[in-house]
Parts: sequence; structure tokens; C-alpha cells
Amino acid sequence: MAGYTENELAQDLENQEYKFGFVTDIESDTVPIGLNEDIIRLISEKKEEPEWLLEYRLKAFAIWKEMTEPEWAHVHYNKPDFQAIAYYSAPKQTKKYESWDDVDPEMKETMKKLGISMEEQQRLTGVAVDFVMDSVSVATSFKEKLGELGVIFCSFSDAVQNHPDLVKKYMGSVVPMTDNFYAALNAAVFTDGSFCYIPKGVRCPMELSTYFRINAGGTGQFERTLVVADEGSYVSYLEGCTAPQRDENQLHAAVVELIAMDHAEIKYSTVQNWYPGDKEGKGGVFNFVTKRGMCHTHAKISWTQVETGSAVTWKYPSCVLKGDYSIGEFYSVAVTNNYQQADTGTKMIHLGKNTRSTIISKGISAGKSQNSYRGLVQINKSAQNARNFSQCDSLLMTDECGAHTFPYIECKNPTAKIEHEATTSKIGEDQLFYCMQRGISEEKAISLIVNGYCKEVLNQLPMEFAVEAQKLLAISLEGSVG
Amino acid sequence: MENSNKLSQFISRFTSTEIEGLLPMAGMARTFLLENDFPTTRVERFKYTRLAKLANAQFESSDEKSVSDFRKHQICSDAIAIFIVNGKVHLPETSLPTGLAIDYINSAQSLPSSSVKDVFAGMNILYAQSGVCVHVAKNTVINSVIEIIHVCTGSYAGFTRNFVSIGEHAQAKVVLTYASEATNECFSHVHTSIEVGKQAHVNVEKIQMESSEMYSFSDEEIWQEADSVFQINTLTLDGNLVRNDLHIQVQGEHAETHLNGMYMLNAQQHVANYTTVDHQVPNCESHELYKGIMDDKSVAVFNGKVFVRKDAQVTNAYQSNANVLISDDASINSKPELEIYADDVKCSHGSTTGQLDDEAIFYLRARGLSEKSAKQLMLTAFMSDVLDKITIPEVKAKVSKIINQRFNWELEL
Repeated sequence: MAGYTENELAQDLENQEYKFGFVTDIESDTVPIGLNEDIIRLISEKKEEPEWLLEYRLKAFAIWKEMTEPEWAHVHYNKPDFQAIAYYSAPKQTKKYESWDDVDPEMKETMKKLGISMEEQQRLTGVAVDFVMDSVSVATSFKEKLGELGVIFCSFSDAVQNHPDLVKKYMGSVVPMTDNFYAALNAAVFTDGSFCYIPKGVRCPMELSTYFRINAGGTGQFERTLVVADEGSYVSYLEGCTAPQRDENQLHAAVVELIAMDHAEIKYSTVQNWYPGDKEGKGGVFNFVTKRGMCHTHAKISWTQVETGSAVTWKYPSCVLKGDYSIGEFYSVAVTNNYQQADTGTKMIHLGKNTRSTIISKGISAGKSQNSYRGLVQINKSAQNARNFSQCDSLLMTDECGAHTFPYIECKNPTAKIEHEATTSKIGEDQLFYCMQRGISEEKAISLIVNGYCKEVLNQLPMEFAVEAQKLLAISLEGSVG
Repeated sequence: MENSNKLSQFISRFTSTEIEGLLPMAGMARTFLLENDFPTTRVERFKYTRLAKLANAQFESSDEKSVSDFRKHQICSDAIAIFIVNGKVHLPETSLPTGLAIDYINSAQSLPSSSVKDVFAGMNILYAQSGVCVHVAKNTVINSVIEIIHVCTGSYAGFTRNFVSIGEHAQAKVVLTYASEATNECFSHVHTSIEVGKQAHVNVEKIQMESSEMYSFSDEEIWQEADSVFQINTLTLDGNLVRNDLHIQVQGEHAETHLNGMYMLNAQQHVANYTTVDHQVPNCESHELYKGIMDDKSVAVFNGKVFVRKDAQVTNAYQSNANVLISDDASINSKPELEIYADDVKCSHGSTTGQLDDEAIFYLRARGLSEKSAKQLMLTAFMSDVLDKITIPEVKAKVSKIINQRFNWELEL
């Protein structure tokens, strides 16, 4: 392998097949395909939801019907037929398990393939996992330990049943149903998700983690995640996605809302590895996600994402820096290969005084993919002494891919300091030469450079996740990372 | 439907063009106008520009005046000067050096097909009434500056179209001066096509100092051949609503492009600079530097796009935009874009927004400078790298002078 060249790396990337493609054979309870008020009523009924939530859904549906799909993103795809999707799919055995042993062995197997075996998790890592398999939570661990501290970590449907006041108060407060087309759709048909509440002054002792998986064929997944960190609390939340191989495009339109009250801190990390489609660009998941966090005084929200999957990604985790001295951060690695298209970035809305934001975005394009960074830094009039630093770098692996940068910088306050810089290049011949001249093989040198390129972002991930993210990067860029 | 009425209402005051070279483009322009409304802030290109007032403005044609009344707007005293007053072209009276031909645009057999990015560019193709055609023959060096002075008076509204072609291995310096004596709302849209031949060297200074009644739109489209060097400085010093659209098509290898811009705004001015550098072939480089100072309630927009096509390997493209806001109500919207489809490239952009450093001002004041002088010194230093790019001394002197007057500065630059 001494003569491993960039071209060979590109070749390897192209030949890379999806490694998590398998379908779990569990009977699913699916509602008829299509979308209308009756379907929404049916979903609501199946989930035994209170009246106010049904009303919320119907209102969102009415708004959604008036909206048109956004087209401004730098992506091209065949629009999903919203009437051809089944909006609810739950594994048949909906009863809650008494103990871990009761869990369907096949599902355990699925989790094993995902590398998150529960036994392992519980014993070794101390990570509480709220496992979502086609929209319904099947196992939640460490609930008791968290319960002692007053931390609520449960599926969204449980939260609706057990903590309706909290859900009612915060749901839609950061991402209103009118926000955009997919947020409205999600508000109308969301099936499940995660809910997390950290009480005042509590530092959550473990990383909270949810693994999402799209399973039954032809079902879109519409989760809703709501994380509320009350005054002075801290939580680190992990979200990971892997979906099995499918031929038709699947739609994933999630909504994530974070609320960091005064002096609270939320760290939200995502590893996204939905099925990206095959080498010809056939199939793959459409990932149209709305993620936004609200920062109150002295609060901090940090988004870290490693995006390796999905055929089409459309995702802008944002921070509304409402309170004075609040901080927003965004760290992202986006890898696209074959025919993948990613249009991702962030929005930092500065409202409060002395607010700060940092954006570090690293794009890697390979194959025939298109990778775009799109971001907004908005300094409003009230945001005295706001500070922003953005850095968006793109690495091009082949001559058939594209890397684009579309930053919007809007400043209405003269005391703000904004810096934005972006670079686009391939792995420099001189960098390679430098490494090789010092006795490092070409393969190692490429790996070194790619690793170093992403390091800034990977360093932000919690330990447990960094391992998986590195594994995924290694799979996505196999041959270059070693 | 309301909007399209607005557009047709706006158009109704203009008469169709009689410039033959434009006719082949008319179909495309007409289609664009049919498909698009009068722009609102919902249109991406006009996201930050409010045009409602323009849509409702009243214009009327004014009396003709003799050219001598406008000589004062000429910047370069020895220049070969072409005056375009309210769309009427006055060719230079002096004899021209060999190799230089200047004529009315109607004389051109054909014109390069320009791109239609907004309704105004489309309208220019359909309604341009006049313009000038400048041709520099190949292997010719024109030592004199060619200055095209656009002046609007009264409450004029109209479209002008110019064509400049610089032959192979030729050299020329062009100054595009925009001035106005408007008494009422005035609208002007000037399109300038510039063809830069192989190995040609072209230097364009575009200097805008129009009055507070002007809606001044201008776009330049440049086609660059191999081994050519092209530089354009866009210097916006005064005006009401100014939109500059610069589109450079790099079509020959080893071409070099320099775009610089300076915008100094106060009152309620709005200046939008849109630039596109389209790298279509390998081995080229482009450098872009735009700097702005915004005072009072002014709003500036910078949108710079570097486009590197698939075959344009070994492209080096650099872009930088820096802004200083010196009042509480000023704002800046900056959007530096990179769209890259080739892998062996080095492209970068940077954008900064900030204010004057308090410590630096303190340092200067501690040494006896007044606060105003200290600030001026800092702002001058900030602008100096763009100022230094101006190659024609008379233009540079004029720009310095205007800056001093506008900001009522104490020190001589």
C-alpha cells in the first residue's frame, strides 16, 4: 500500500458501499399511506394523546397545506410525494419490557450491529440510551439514576402523558409550527422522539443518548426532540442515526428544540449516517431537519455534528442568542460521497449584549457529490459587543465533486466584531511532499492530513461518540484514515 | 398580479430600443421580464434593497443642455472625454489617436450577448436608447485616459448601453464617471460590455458621486481572453441608491483579474455591490478586495461570488471584504460566496466587520490628535490599500478630495 495515491483514495471512496444496510424483520404496525386530517387523528388516537396536542397537530397541518417546499438550497432531488408515505409505524409489540431480557432478541441483534449493545452500554459506558426504532421507544435505561436527580429523560410520547405541562410550555417555543415547510409537517405528524428536562442547578452525570433508526420500508420518520436545561444546569446530549439500506428515497423531517435557561449549558452532538444511496445515486434518505436552540442569559449551546450519510441533507442547527452574555457554537464535519448532496450550516442570531458565537465547518467532498455550507450570522441592533468567528473549509477529493460556501453576514450594530473566512482546496501537493519527505508513506500522509483537518471538530465530541464518529469517518473515507 | 402590474407600469414609460446589436438578445430579455415581477425583498438578489419608492417614482424628460455645462464632472483633464447626458451621447470633439475608434452604439454590427440576472438588466436590453462604442485596435497602446462621463439631470429615467472592446495585445485605461445634477428622483441604468483581447491590459476606474435623488444602477460584463490582465476599481463615494453588478467571465487561460471596491456611505444611502467572477478555464487567478465605511443610517450590501467551473483547474481565487460601521444605525450585509466544481484550486474568502479600536484611538489622542483626527487617520489607513490600487493619479486625488469633503475631515489625505 506504499504507493497509495489520492486517485486511489478517490477510487476507494467511490467503491465504498453502505455498511449498515440491513432490515430488521419485525412486524410493524403501520397506518395507511397518505396524509389527511383522518390520518393525523388516527396517529393521535394510537398514541392516546390529549386533546390539546391533536389540536396542535391539526393547526400545523392546516398551515402546512398552505406552504410550498423551499427551493433555495443548493440541492437537486425528486420531491417526495407526501401522499405516498405512511406517517406512523410502530413495532407490533408495543408493551413496555419489564427487564432487558424481555426485549426481542432480533432487536437486540439490530442494536449489536449498530454497535450499541445495551448490556455493553449499561455495564461499561454509563450511557443512558433511549432507543427509537421506527418511532416508538422500546427501551430506556438508567431512568432511575436520572430520576434521583430529577432529570426527566424519556420518549416524547411518555412526556406528553406524564409531563404535559412542560411539553405544552416549551414545544414549539423555539421552532414554531409556522417556521418552515418541514417543521410544519413535523408538527402535524410527528410520531415520537425524545424529551429531556434538567432541573435547576443539576449537572447531568452522564451523556444522554438516543439512537434513531428508520426501519419499516416506506415510512418517513418524524421525530421531535425537546431538551430543556433549567437555570444553571448542564447536559450533554448525543444523537446518532443509522438507517438500513432501501431503494426508494425515505423522508426524514425532524425537529429539535433546545432551551438553555439562564447560566445553563447544552451540548448537543450528532452523528448522522442515514443511508446515502448507492453508487449510482439511487435511493438514500432525505434529511430535512430543523434544529434550533434558545440561549438565555449566560447560557451556552454547542452543536457538534458529523454528517456522513443521507442522499440529500438540508440542515441548519441554529442558536438564538437572546440573553446577554450567551454563547453559541457550531462544529461540523460534513462528508459527501458518490451522488450525495449536503446543504448544511448554521444560523447565529445575536440579540443579547456581549453574545459570542463560533462556527467551525469542515466539508469533505468526494465522488460526484455536492457539499455546501450555508450560514447566517445576524447581529441585531440590540446586540452590543457581539462577537463572531466563522471558519468554513472545504476539501475536494475528485474533480467531479463540488464544494460551495454561501455565508450571509448581516450586521446592524457598530460594536460587533465579525470575522469570516473560508478556504477551498484539495490536499496540497506540498503538504503531501512535506510529510513524505519526512518518511511518512503517502497513505499515512493523506490520513494524517484528513485527520488533522477534522480534528478541531472531532475534539468537541464526547469520548463515547468520538470513537463512533472516527469509525464512521474511517468507513466513509476508508483507506485514508488509519 | 399586483407586482407584474408594477413592472409593466414601470416599463410603460420607456420606448423600445433601436440599437440593432441588442435585437438578438431581446427574446431572452422579454422572456425574463414575463417570468419575473418588479423585485421585492423576497427576490434573493434584492433581499436587502427596497425598491417600492422607485416603483412609484415619477420621472419626466428634461431640457437639453450643452455639453460645456457638464465639463466640471470630468476628472481627468487630458482625457478623451465622452459625455452621456440624460442618455444622450456627445462624442469627443478632439481628434483621436490612431487605433482608437469611438462611435455611437448604434453603429456596432453586433454586441456581446450579456446575461440577464434581474429585470433591470432585461429592461436595458429592450429599452436602451443610446450609448457609446469604444474600440481599441490590436497592438495599440492608448496613452490617454478614455473617460466616459454619465450625467443625469432633472428627473430623468432611462437605460444606456456601452460597449468597449480592447483588441489583442492592446492597452487602455478607462474611467467611468457617474455624476448627477438631479433635482428630483432620477433613474439610470447603464450597462457596459467590455471585451478584453488576448494579452491585453485594461484598467477601469469606476467612480460614482451622484446626488441623493439618484437611483443608479449599473452593470459591467467583462469577457477576458487568454493572458490578459484586467483591473476594475469600483469607487462609490456618493449617491442615494446605488447598485453595481460586475460580472467577469474568464475565458482564456493565464488571465489575471483584479476587482477592488470602496464604498463610503452616510445619510440614508444604500449601496449594493454584486460581483461574479466566473472561472471557465484553467490556470487563472483573481483577486478581489472590497472595503466599506458606513455612517449614519446607511446600508451596504456586498455579495461576491467566485465560480470555478469543472474544467478550471489550477485556479487561484481570493476574495476579501472588510467593513467598518461608525454609527449606531448603519448596517452591512455581506455574502461572500464560493461555488467550486474543480478540485485543484486554491480559493478563499474572508469577511470582517468591526469598529475602530478604542485603544488605538486613545494612543493617537494621547499624542495630541483630536478625536476626529484620530478616527480619520484610522479610517484613512483602513481605506488606503484600496486607494493604492487606483492607478490614475487624477482619479486618486479626486477620490481623496471627495472623502475629505464628505466626512468633513481635518487632515489632508
